[in-house]
Amino acid sequence: MLRTSALAGVAKTGRFGADKGSPGVKLSLAQPASIIMVIARKGKAKALKEALAAIKKTTVQWAGPDQYYVYNTPYTDLKNKLENLASVSDQSHGRVMISIRGPKARAVLAKGTPVDLHEAEFPIGKSALTQMAHVSVHLTRTGDDEFTLSVFRGFSESFWEWLSSQAGEFGYQVS
Amino acid sequence: MTGFRIPNGGLIDRDTELNFKFDGKSYTGHQGDTLASALIANGVHLMGRSFKYHRPRGVISAGASEPNALVELREGGRKEANTRATMVELYDGLAARSQNRWPSLNFDVGAVTSLASSIFVAGFYYKTFMWPKSFWEKIYEPLIRKAAGLGTASKEADPDAYEKSYTHCDLLVIGSGPSGLMATLTAARSGARVILADEGSRLGGSLLFENEEIAGQSGYDWAQTVLAELTSLPNVTLMPRTTIFGWFDGNVFGALERVNDHVAVPAPFEPRQRYWRVHAKRAVLAAGAEERPLVFGGNDVPGVMLASAMRHYSNRYAAAAGKSIAVFANNDSAQRTARDMQSHGVNVAAMIDTRKGGRILNVKGGKGVSYIETPVGKIPCDAVAMSGGWSPIVNLMCHRGAKPVWNEAIAGFTPPDVGAEFTAIGSAAGHMLLSECLADGARAGTMKGRVPATPKCRDEAFAIQPFWWVKESTGKAFIDYQNDATAKDLPLAAREGYGHVELAKRYTTTGMATDQGKLGNVNAIAILAEASGKTIAEMGTTTFRPFYTPVSFGAFAGPFIGHHFQPVRKTPLHDWAVEQGAVFVETGLWMRSSWFPKSGEDWLASASREVKSTRASVGLCDVSTLGKIDIQGKDAGVFLDRLYCNTFSTLSIGKARYGLMLREDGIVFDDGTTSRLAEDHYVMTTTTANAARVMSHIEFCHQVHWPELDVQYVSVTEQWAQMAVAGPKARATLQKLVDKLTLNDDTVPYLAAKEITIMGGVESRLFRISFSGEHAYELAVPADYGNAVARAIMQAGAEFNIVPYGVEALSMMRIEKGHVAGGELNGTTTAGDLGLGKMMSTKKDFIGRKMASRDGLTDPARQCVVGIKPVDRTMKMRSGGHLLKQGDPPSMQADQGYICSVAWSPMLNMWLGLALLSNGRVRHGEIVKVFDGLRGHHYFAEICDPVHFDPKNERLHA
Repeated sequence: MLRTSALAGVAKTGRFGADKGSPGVKLSLAQPASIIMVIARKGKAKALKEALAAIKKTTVQWAGPDQYYVYNTPYTDLKNKLENLASVSDQSHGRVMISIRGPKARAVLAKGTPVDLHEAEFPIGKSALTQMAHVSVHLTRTGDDEFTLSVFRGFSESFWEWLSSQAGEFGYQVS
Repeated sequence: MTGFRIPNGGLIDRDTELNFKFDGKSYTGHQGDTLASALIANGVHLMGRSFKYHRPRGVISAGASEPNALVELREGGRKEANTRATMVELYDGLAARSQNRWPSLNFDVGAVTSLASSIFVAGFYYKTFMWPKSFWEKIYEPLIRKAAGLGTASKEADPDAYEKSYTHCDLLVIGSGPSGLMATLTAARSGARVILADEGSRLGGSLLFENEEIAGQSGYDWAQTVLAELTSLPNVTLMPRTTIFGWFDGNVFGALERVNDHVAVPAPFEPRQRYWRVHAKRAVLAAGAEERPLVFGGNDVPGVMLASAMRHYSNRYAAAAGKSIAVFANNDSAQRTARDMQSHGVNVAAMIDTRKGGRILNVKGGKGVSYIETPVGKIPCDAVAMSGGWSPIVNLMCHRGAKPVWNEAIAGFTPPDVGAEFTAIGSAAGHMLLSECLADGARAGTMKGRVPATPKCRDEAFAIQPFWWVKESTGKAFIDYQNDATAKDLPLAAREGYGHVELAKRYTTTGMATDQGKLGNVNAIAILAEASGKTIAEMGTTTFRPFYTPVSFGAFAGPFIGHHFQPVRKTPLHDWAVEQGAVFVETGLWMRSSWFPKSGEDWLASASREVKSTRASVGLCDVSTLGKIDIQGKDAGVFLDRLYCNTFSTLSIGKARYGLMLREDGIVFDDGTTSRLAEDHYVMTTTTANAARVMSHIEFCHQVHWPELDVQYVSVTEQWAQMAVAGPKARATLQKLVDKLTLNDDTVPYLAAKEITIMGGVESRLFRISFSGEHAYELAVPADYGNAVARAIMQAGAEFNIVPYGVEALSMMRIEKGHVAGGELNGTTTAGDLGLGKMMSTKKDFIGRKMASRDGLTDPARQCVVGIKPVDRTMKMRSGGHLLKQGDPPSMQADQGYICSVAWSPMLNMWLGLALLSNGRVRHGEIVKVFDGLRGHHYFAEICDPVHFDPKNERLHA
């Protein structure tokens, strides 16, 4: 069965906001095939970290003390690989992920999060659990001017409306 | 000089002519002007009327402290009252109106109160409007407010956008005068992240208007050189038009950026204002010092202004306050003012220095200065520059409770020591020489290592001898211009027992206006101290609190207004529900489908039809909003045993069980079904309302009470679209979707919880549970499939006339069945009250066990859940009505309980309810009186078993 994103019909592609040359940010849906929440079993934090590092072709992001989001490894595979090391919960449909990139990405995000996103404090690969526009957000820096935002599915439409409106003054492209 | 515009110099663009209106009259000014400077250049000094006496008033200052020149700026939804003309940047088409006058600024009826001023003394309101008491709210207060009121707010919606943002830095520099620029430059050169914020439209502070010399160039040129360098550095953020309004815990500063207040209408997509929260590792206060007025008769006549303001208007804006001026001062500011004004061709008619015994007794003139009275005679002039000394702008450093310190040498209060995170420099610290400012700046800007050398500069002399009040004046001598508090009010307050500085403030209203006493408070303290026989240091200041200057509500609200006031949370079945014509109801943040009307149906007709169809055949309801929490780990069962009052460690894999959770005090907290999917894996459901609270509770219990347990938990509410499929045809409907498995009482018995696949491989969970009382299932599918699966169920059920049903129908069915919900789990009821006492295990400990056994919580006379129905079966019942024994009059003593939930029962054709009734379980069959004081009536009702419909629960297994 085909999945239908919560932002289908909401995140319309195109160029929006102020026209000041090239867009200040680019927004796009960045939904991975799977999003799995992995939480270390008692006393297994270190072993879990090592096990995760050994899994190939997957992305792991910090998501709390001894907790991680693991992307693009199917739930059952991961559950088997991490047996007795971690509790594994499928969140593939529960979270919506958005990519924001461009020279004004930080300025847009600063309108929502109190987290300091300066590269010295928040380097590539770092994640934070934060709140933006009253919505809990899992925020990760994925590049110099690139971040991914992960929110509960049910809030994603509201969050998108806020995010895109805040990008308006810089001009933004949705792809 | 033609008019009052000085022919050359100043930071105005004479090539750009701007048209503006003040009180309907047209004027012109230039780019770079403020509204106040443009009016002065046009010879207009009368800019407002005072609050109490409606005296004509002109501009006193050239900045944020302005008490008099308050205007209503702009029109319609953009109108802003109490805007300081001194801070308003002029733009083409600007329109402003004066305030506190009726019918016009030049002729004001309210000014007669000035003639009767002997009765309008301090405490007048408190003394006069005391009797009769009932008059205060209805008559006195509305009248006083009408007479007093400053500007009026627009009743239209503000069409502009407001924003919020966060920023962070190693060093925040507040104020961009010589101290602030030097600090910023020094820190910036070391690579630190620096933010320089200044409330002015341009950075440079006093260097924009004072004649200074730094590093062999003018102060202004030096500032431009520094700013050019700062602009080129990526680690520096320059924030002009940004007022730091408050200092908060964690060295967080609140700031308001006036992004587009200097244009008529913000450019598309741009906000008018932006509210900043600045997280600073360290901050320096370089806000400078505020010049004080002198206190003498007629010190409020339009044309009397601060000496520094007069310099500001002439040097920066090329606007001369007059053609022939008098200078009145107690410090060296006098010489500087005379020198500057003479350089612009203004005549200095008199130099009056209190240190040499000079006095202005009274300023004479109505709407402008005509002459001054001195002990040696009258001196004609058209403006007066006054300087009573300097008050360091200490406000921000006192926002967290510390008090400023009196400094005799400068005759001013200097900031308290609040630690290394926030320090004051330059004249904000009471260091009044330019060389001290630069040295302070260099020191404060040094992040580590040696303090760099500072450029050479020329120092203006600074010497002061305090002088507080010309007591020989016969005219009114104002302390607080905006609130019309005069020098005489303060000794009066002291005489009448309000001599404490905080009491005198309230009694005289000194410092209580929109300017919060920026100019007058120190004068007031000095005069009050003298009247009370105390020193100024002993008297001390009133409390400084945020906000330094007023901040609009729009800035606080930011983008979170209207539809965006709070986020909207939609279920994975939202689109399906829209297709089915759902009417939605807000439940917390969720939008839930409430009923699904067909044409012509109201909510009751629609919900009744949904109930009947569901009970007759099959219905589909979105229950995705229920909280779902994955609970895993070796100790998951033990953990649940402690959270719930009943037992879960014994639950078989593949089964669901209804669970009841108590609070620590023994009262019921939440309920829901929890299923066991594997030895070490449960999935808990919570009520919609308590989902987040239960999650917090679980985290707290694990982290604080039982960290030794190997248990992990995470909310999976959003992962699953969950559908209740209920009714005698539920099984037949679902069978069509389920892969392979045959649904029957053996494969999926009552309370089964199974992981299955549907529709060719969609991994799902099927629970055989029922809230409706019907043979029912809950089917959970991954959220992105929700709409498609719901549509498929509708298709599968078409032959059975399946209906979608909403929370109204759900509620009717649960009340018919006597199932408790929010109305009964209301934070006052025990498990026993709900008829669920037997669920409390006696074989284990659990949260709430001990406290639930207290006498008061086990008293048989407690109110417990009963069913209720009106004796007159055609009557409509409403919840909230109180229950009384038949003969009893309504009283607290006679109260027996109340109705918690009611619903129309489509099955029994009457209104039904659930109530809490004292000792109710033994009272089934009793007729009680329902007293509904809110709706002003009473009626009789019969108490019965809470299970109104299908008392033997036969339909569950049908």
